[in-house]
Amino acid sequence: MREAAISIPTEVVAQPAVELEGITKRFPGVVANRDIRLMVRRGHVHAIVGENGAGKSTLMKILYGMQRPDEGVIKINGDPVAFRSPEGAITAGIGMVHQHFMLADNLTVLENVVLGSEPRKGGIAIDFRAARKKIKEISDAYGLGIEPDMLVEELGVGARQRVEILKVLFRGARILILDEPTAVLVPQEVEELFDNLRVLVGQGLTIIFISHKLDEVLSVADAITVIRRGETVAEVDPSAVTARQLAELMVGSELPSPETRDSTVTDVVALSVEGLTVRAPDGRAAVDQVAFTIHKGEVLGIAGVEGNGQAELVEAIMGMRPADGTIHLADADISSWSTLRRREGGIGYIPEDRHRHGLLLEAPLWENRILGHQTRRPNAKGPWIDRAGARGDTERIAREYDVRTPGIDVDAAALSGGNQQKLIVGREMSGDPVVLIASHPTRGVDVGAQAAIWDHLRAARADGLAVLLVSADLDELIGLSDTLKVILRGRIVADVDPSAVTPEQLGSAMTGAGEES
Amino acid sequence: MLRNRVGRMAAGVLAGAMVTVGVAACGGDSTTATPAEGGSSAAAPTGAKVGLAYDIGGRGDQSFNDSAAAGLDKAKSELKLPDPRELTASPGETEAQKEERLRLLATSGYNPVVAVGFAYSGPVKKVAAEFPDVKFAIVDDAAATGPNISNLVFAEHEGSFLVGAAAALKSTKNNVGFVGGVQVPLIQKFEAGFAAGAKAVNKDITIQSKYLSQPPEFTGFNDPAKGKTVAEGMIDAGADVVYHAAGGSGSGVFEAAKAGKAQAIGVDADQALTADAAVKDVVMTSMLKKLDVAVYDFLKSFAAGTVKPGTTVYDLKVAGVDYSVTGGKVDDIKDKLEEYKQKIVSGEIKVPETTS
Amino acid sequence: MSPAAGGFLDRVSGRVKLTGWLSLAAPLLAILFAAVITAVVLLITGNAPFATFALMAEYGVQPRSLVLTLNFATTYYLAGLAVAIGFRMNLFNIGVDGQYRLAALLAAAVGGTVALPGPLLIVVVVLVGVLVGALWAGIVGLLKATRGVSEVISSIMLNAIATGVGAWLLTPALLAVPVAGSNNIGTRPIPESAHFPGFALIPGTTVKVFGFIVVAILMGIAYHVLLTRTVFGFDLRATGRSESAAVASGVNVKKMVLATMLISGAVAGMVGMPQLLGASYSYSLDFPAGLGFTGIAIALLGRNHPVGIAVGALLWSFLDNSSNILDLEGIPKEIVIIMQGTIVLSVIVAYELVHRYRMAAEQRRVSRELTGGTGGSGGAGGTATPEGAVSR
Repeated sequence: MREAAISIPTEVVAQPAVELEGITKRFPGVVANRDIRLMVRRGHVHAIVGENGAGKSTLMKILYGMQRPDEGVIKINGDPVAFRSPEGAITAGIGMVHQHFMLADNLTVLENVVLGSEPRKGGIAIDFRAARKKIKEISDAYGLGIEPDMLVEELGVGARQRVEILKVLFRGARILILDEPTAVLVPQEVEELFDNLRVLVGQGLTIIFISHKLDEVLSVADAITVIRRGETVAEVDPSAVTARQLAELMVGSELPSPETRDSTVTDVVALSVEGLTVRAPDGRAAVDQVAFTIHKGEVLGIAGVEGNGQAELVEAIMGMRPADGTIHLADADISSWSTLRRREGGIGYIPEDRHRHGLLLEAPLWENRILGHQTRRPNAKGPWIDRAGARGDTERIAREYDVRTPGIDVDAAALSGGNQQKLIVGREMSGDPVVLIASHPTRGVDVGAQAAIWDHLRAARADGLAVLLVSADLDELIGLSDTLKVILRGRIVADVDPSAVTPEQLGSAMTGAGEES
Repeated sequence: MLRNRVGRMAAGVLAGAMVTVGVAACGGDSTTATPAEGGSSAAAPTGAKVGLAYDIGGRGDQSFNDSAAAGLDKAKSELKLPDPRELTASPGETEAQKEERLRLLATSGYNPVVAVGFAYSGPVKKVAAEFPDVKFAIVDDAAATGPNISNLVFAEHEGSFLVGAAAALKSTKNNVGFVGGVQVPLIQKFEAGFAAGAKAVNKDITIQSKYLSQPPEFTGFNDPAKGKTVAEGMIDAGADVVYHAAGGSGSGVFEAAKAGKAQAIGVDADQALTADAAVKDVVMTSMLKKLDVAVYDFLKSFAAGTVKPGTTVYDLKVAGVDYSVTGGKVDDIKDKLEEYKQKIVSGEIKVPETTS
Repeated sequence: MSPAAGGFLDRVSGRVKLTGWLSLAAPLLAILFAAVITAVVLLITGNAPFATFALMAEYGVQPRSLVLTLNFATTYYLAGLAVAIGFRMNLFNIGVDGQYRLAALLAAAVGGTVALPGPLLIVVVVLVGVLVGALWAGIVGLLKATRGVSEVISSIMLNAIATGVGAWLLTPALLAVPVAGSNNIGTRPIPESAHFPGFALIPGTTVKVFGFIVVAILMGIAYHVLLTRTVFGFDLRATGRSESAAVASGVNVKKMVLATMLISGAVAGMVGMPQLLGASYSYSLDFPAGLGFTGIAIALLGRNHPVGIAVGALLWSFLDNSSNILDLEGIPKEIVIIMQGTIVLSVIVAYELVHRYRMAAEQRRVSRELTGGTGGSGGAGGTATPEGAVSR
């Protein structure tokens, strides 16, 4: 099939550049893409929007040959193709600019560009002269303004991104995939990038633009496809839609909002944080002077676009990351406590990435029951692991939290994402927590498990549990939270009343673009 | 051929191992006249079936294992012995494995059994007691004693004294070097003699001493590159004669001497004859440690039925150690060296065996 | 519900069966593969493979050979355990070699000089070895925990330093006593009362099995209990499986690194003891070296499992032991080294292949279940989007 794509040079102007039909991709425990349809016209900037975890990245990896779909057809310029690797996609004229640059700092632009696709002189020596000439030509043709002999380390972020674009053009790409290209740029650079993109499409190239920044998408895209939970939910014309409507499409409205309006908030402080600052390795404040208080029976939601300091905030509270400022658990100052002591003190933790932080994938369920609670009953008696106790309690969790497993000796990796998550929730609830830090507690789980997890959180809240809820699911945030704060670039920028806010308003507040509530 | 060998193995060794005493007695009873009918049915020449156990490196190490092999080869051709069996130690093995090696030789009907290297001391003592009718010889060790053990030891310090004196006499910069293979007492004996000889000529001479490795690292005996580097360092620091007691690493020392326009002194064999043609000319003399002679003597006396248990010291007096004159480079100082030799033989000079 | 449950059971029973069968098949195939490679090498060098293997086997089952095999295996087993403890938390303790050599030297020196009643002296000697090994390995742990120095690099360096320190200590000026007439040099011999008694375990030979084999077996049990029955062992294994998950669960990884290195070093300190207390009674120039590296191979061979390591140690020891008989028969004894090397390599490759096969099989199985079982799993767990379930 791939051969066909290369060998038949049919020139049909009306053919879309990229056409996806019924693309489905499953991973153990989760369906990342389900019956995706997408049509990208030549000479368009086509935006694909969706929440984190909606399946955008998987889709692009499939298009770029990094993963193979379980079902479905990919057509490039009308011809069906089946890529086995990115090389196949490159041959077919597809190029990808990754979110994280893949450039060697101590090499020149020229060297970076030819790296991996060196034009050969007589088959042996690299023909730098030819490469330099070609780079100049491409740079001039598309107004990229790249000097081939500059060292990459001397370039700014925007220029580096243009080098990445040049790199794929150099390899002959006619269809460019840009994965969240604006995430690393400041506003002026974003404008420059958009100007470049307009030049590129003006010359007949096609750009697929992945983003969740809706204002940017509206300003640059010619067409927009919205993906939610692995499915295409809408194809919209940017001139006929507002950012709010788009956000609504992204977040969806068919999920039942959990009705928990009768407040259980008490005036007993469970967790209070003051002046919390976490520094990233480069010295920048990833979390900047954050302060909040959670009372018993209260759910405090943190809303924000991914990467604005939520992960750092959570890890600082868990003691996994050094931080300045003070954290009080009830009356005790726990700022200097170890993670273990904080957990023993009654902080439960549902981590954002359950595979990295929540589970031992290659260990049986009952050992995963012990994880994070290895010093406490029923898992341990003094220095000894209480196998019987742990196993018995794992059986209980599996029963009470509906973890669907044939037994507790199964490796955690064998469970579906939802069941893994239910095990984690059950485990953390079983430690008699005073405070629960729940990071994206229902991400990547099926709807049934999501509802079950919400039920458990609500029940625990009614029993006086204090919850810090970090989520990208706006319905979840609005539905569960008693108090809602918006985090942007590491700072709390707004307090929102969850009973009066709509997902659209919240979405605007998160991007810092909309009006304050 | 292989079938034959394995067949012989099965018949001889395995059966032998199960009736150890019988076979050993069979091989040991008649030392000279009708030797060793052991398990062999091969139409071999009459004569002792010699078993020889080398230390690590074995035959082909261009060092002292090879010297022992030379003695064995000489004995084989001159005494018309049947094919001997030669076994080699592995790096990192324990005494139990050395013991087993000797025991295998003895049970398979080999008699006499020669062990090369002091590491066989304990094993020889133990196995010799188990096989009273087999004669054992051990090179470089006098600690393992028994009625059927001959200890062949050398006065390396005496020979080294002479080449030390030669080095001092030849040095124009009053600066000589010693490169030891591995820092063990045996090699320190070479160093002690060399230093004493050099000092006897010139009290104020500078003597540089370096070892290439330290136990349990025995690579210093077979690391020409390191030998070269170390010798270069000595020559750069002013030495113009370098003596090595470093086995296979010596070739590196010779290369360094050649490049640095210095002279070198060989060890064990007459290295003006055995060294690489390109560097032969830098070898002004060699300290001869006549391992081949010792092994040959032992085998000859075995054939003659005159094996003596106990220690035989191969020193200057019996020419067990000596200096070589090939190439004529020490002819001018030969008188002086002979004078020292006489004084050592007569006991007027006592050469120390240890440094300081 | 029932089709879903069937799917689960199908998957899991399949998985378990697969694991059980393959976990046994992998090492067996590896050994078979190594034998084939060795046979090819033997053929190339003009020796008959089957006759050679028969020779090795025949020699190997003689009573004396059995004792020697057990004795070497005792030492190898301890070395394998020492390495495996590190491996279980992804720490590569290459330094076992230096740790046991230094430990044996100092323990031997203490054993030769301290006047104590026999059994007590044995305990003291072993304790000194354990302590020295732990401290030497502790340096590695400390460097890693405080400065992030790779344990591989620092332990290699410490091996070299241990060699130097050992050579310096093993001189008459310090710990060694020269033996008259010998070119060897060693520590003062440990008095006979403190020789670890051996067993006449195998009939048909007077050679005794190291009494230390009991200690080695106990260490194997202790290793198993420590890793699987204690909180510490749980933390250690959790860190080895996923450091990020361990950190999130409250494990202090730095402390674990230090503790694990200390324990690994302590066991390494015992590696020289069977030989020291059971055979040579003194640390001299010919004390066996390089056992730490053998330990790495054996830990790999045994997949860090206490029983696997024992099997690996016995196999290794058997092969080592047969090199003498090959040499005697004029067959290159380097065959043994080739065989040992190929066994380790093929075990690693075989396990990797099995692991990948398992992952792929599992993924396929999950896919199948999702397509076939999502609708059926209805119940409480999966109100999965109906249109998704019926889509192609």
